[in-house]
Amino acid sequence: MTEDEHREGIKGMANPGRYGIERVAYLLMRLSGLGLLGYFIAHIYETSNILRGRMGWDEFLALTQTTEGHIFLALVIGMCVFHTGNGIRIMLGHGGVGVGKPTRPDYPYDPASQNYRHKIGIYSSIVLAAVAMMYGMAVMFGE
Amino acid sequence: MKESTIMKIHYGTALAAVGLVAVHILMRLTTGFADSLEYENVLANYRSVPYVVMLELILILLSVHGFNGLRVILLELKQGRVYEKAVSYGCVVAMIGLIGYGSRTIIMTNMGMV
Repeated sequence: MTEDEHREGIKGMANPGRYGIERVAYLLMRLSGLGLLGYFIAHIYETSNILRGRMGWDEFLALTQTTEGHIFLALVIGMCVFHTGNGIRIMLGHGGVGVGKPTRPDYPYDPASQNYRHKIGIYSSIVLAAVAMMYGMAVMFGE
Repeated sequence: MKESTIMKIHYGTALAAVGLVAVHILMRLTTGFADSLEYENVLANYRSVPYVVMLELILILLSVHGFNGLRVILLELKQGRVYEKAVSYGCVVAMIGLIGYGSRTIIMTNMGMV
């Protein structure tokens, strides 16, 4: 990596044109993971409001049953589906599935693991996440 | 613990959580999303022992997976003996804290202390 690339900071690091969809998947995996952990902690706190009785539960539920709350939940669904799909791809890759046969390293030294099978896996995870988000919104806004 | 063992736990908890979370979400869709969140329905869910066991399992699996994931991200950003120990122990403490807090809700509601 040259010094110029360093100067671009996170923008340069995340540039899909330079490092491919694998780098985007790497970033999305971490961002979705952090987002889901944040949601999980908030969800544990949210559900603990049941201990405050009916009033406490209804009061807190009213905060989440809004348009903004539904959009936020749709984002969580998207993060969850992408994280699951891409996570399964990574697990399979670590197990040697879909990474191709070992061959002699010849110029231009294309990494065997970054092949079309894994690219399809990444794009499929993104498409599935989008479909799940739309389904989630249809369920939440349809009522 | 060896990192390879931790990664196996990370993958194992992920796969188990995917199945259980799918059941948890499907439960929200059986009676309609908004209806399933009504106070009586949620309370009935918490009074069902099999469902409560599943909730506790989800809580443990996702806490282990989530905080180990956070530990991995933080260790990728910076390295160092003290830093790595602080991050690892910090994540374990946070994980235990979250499991404890979530279990409190599950146990108290299941035992009718609401």
